[in-house]
Amino acid sequence: MVMELEYNRSLYGIEHEAGPFEISREQIKGFSTGLGETGRIYVDEVAAQDEGYRDVVAPPTFCTVLVNKVKLPDINLQFGRTSMHAGQRVQYRAPIVAGDSLTASSHLKDVYAKTGRSGTMVFVVWETTFRNQDGTVVADVQESFARRE
Amino acid sequence: MVYFEDVDLGDEIGPLETEATDDGVVSFCTVWQSQMPNRFTDREIAEQSRLPGPIVPGIMSMGIMARLLTDWAGPAAVRDLDLVFRQPVPHHKPLRVSATVTDTRQEDGENLVECDILMTGAEGERYVGGKAIVALPSKS
Repeated sequence: MVMELEYNRSLYGIEHEAGPFEISREQIKGFSTGLGETGRIYVDEVAAQDEGYRDVVAPPTFCTVLVNKVKLPDINLQFGRTSMHAGQRVQYRAPIVAGDSLTASSHLKDVYAKTGRSGTMVFVVWETTFRNQDGTVVADVQESFARRE
Repeated sequence: MVYFEDVDLGDEIGPLETEATDDGVVSFCTVWQSQMPNRFTDREIAEQSRLPGPIVPGIMSMGIMARLLTDWAGPAAVRDLDLVFRQPVPHHKPLRVSATVTDTRQEDGENLVECDILMTGAEGERYVGGKAIVALPSKS
């Protein structure tokens, strides 16, 4: 049986914008060293320039720290109460380099229910596309939040 | 340097063994500009959210898992990382990240390796799992 979910479906197709985010060397280095990244292009601008980059390069999941800067509306889901961070996907499409100015655009991607042994859960998925100052897409990030009955 | 031709189905990547410290989580939250104290840094707030103690942010676990791939394939290799957070990840506990190659293919001029990736605990807890795709250079 397919469960009929109640939520604000008029949010589909609406983009929620945020930014610009000016990406600094310190931010990229702080993110990289915090995770113990050893790649020189993440922490050393000279090494990055030797590899042909303008400045230090962000590790692949860097955009995840910017996603929550986009103000997302409540979808008024009539199911469960507490929401938890269930999953995250990053598709890294082009290098993000210190000095870049990124903008974010988020939309509601999907809302679906799954029933397992522990009951039914409803997943809400948002997708955010990040572009740099040239309009190049640098990353797509999906976040999913789950609610239990 | 690892080349596409060197990789086969079933190959294991890693493991990467690490742990997330209180200080590490605080510095991650600082870069993230997450307002502190929060359930990632404070025991009381975590317990109010019915967590056993402060936890590692999901996106920090994700960054640690990406490190397995960048250590293995180089800093510009990761194309896609798609993860499910199965259990809260605690501070100051051994974390083991490993991956298994599930597919190799050429697509849009790139040599892609797909793998299942997993972060586990010392007692076999399956904290975070999912799929990753990396691009590797070819010998030819």
